[in-house]
Amino acid sequence: MSESPEIAKGRGRTRTLGTSLGFIAVAVAIVTVALWFRQIDQVAIPENRTVFVAFFLTAAALGVGAFVAGTRWFGGLAAVVAIFLGSFLPYTVAISRQEVGVAAIQVGDMIPRFTAVSDHGEPFDSEDLHGHIVLIKFFRAHW
Amino acid sequence: MSTDHPEEIREERGAHGLQAIMLSDPDLVVTDAFGLRNTGYHSAPPGDDTEALPVPTSLLVDAQGRVLWMDQVANYQRRSGPEVVLAALRKHLD
Repeated sequence: MSESPEIAKGRGRTRTLGTSLGFIAVAVAIVTVALWFRQIDQVAIPENRTVFVAFFLTAAALGVGAFVAGTRWFGGLAAVVAIFLGSFLPYTVAISRQEVGVAAIQVGDMIPRFTAVSDHGEPFDSEDLHGHIVLIKFFRAHW
Repeated sequence: MSTDHPEEIREERGAHGLQAIMLSDPDLVVTDAFGLRNTGYHSAPPGDDTEALPVPTSLLVDAQGRVLWMDQVANYQRRSGPEVVLAALRKHLD
């Protein structure tokens, strides 16, 4: 049973729409990723990341929309990339929670005495800090 | 203070022109003494052999060794900028 030319034409139109959606999705995703990494590079990630997350999710949703509408293979490829990129940041935001145990130091506590090695390989003793007001930063390493 | 090895810190010091005393705590001995080991999501990059990381924390300590102020992030993608630390310095040291 063959479908009528009108139905085939209609399907062609939605596939064009789907393919376009795929490309729009990947464009939104790439621009958002570029802006996000630029913010990271400048150590300027905003306190409120809702707008960024919204743009990432929009890219992912457009990618899904491309498949719903039906797309040609290259539009589908673009949509897959958009869904992957668009899901990435919301995923890392969701899992990035940091927690300390109950024994964590608090305001008013005396710092424990400690020794460590400096980047020049020299031993360091926290007793040397005595008599000085100091800012100690614990950070997550060089990457 | 970080889990970086001294040679890694040396590279970063050169790259960023850092002036502070930089200490290496690869086995988290000092991190654990302060109770700052992250028990939440561990997210070292693939290939990094660090077993855990500290929760990013800033501590302002007075001349006797008492913590005057501290700042800790609940989400590692957010760090307090210099303005937060400078505001704390002004508040506690003026």
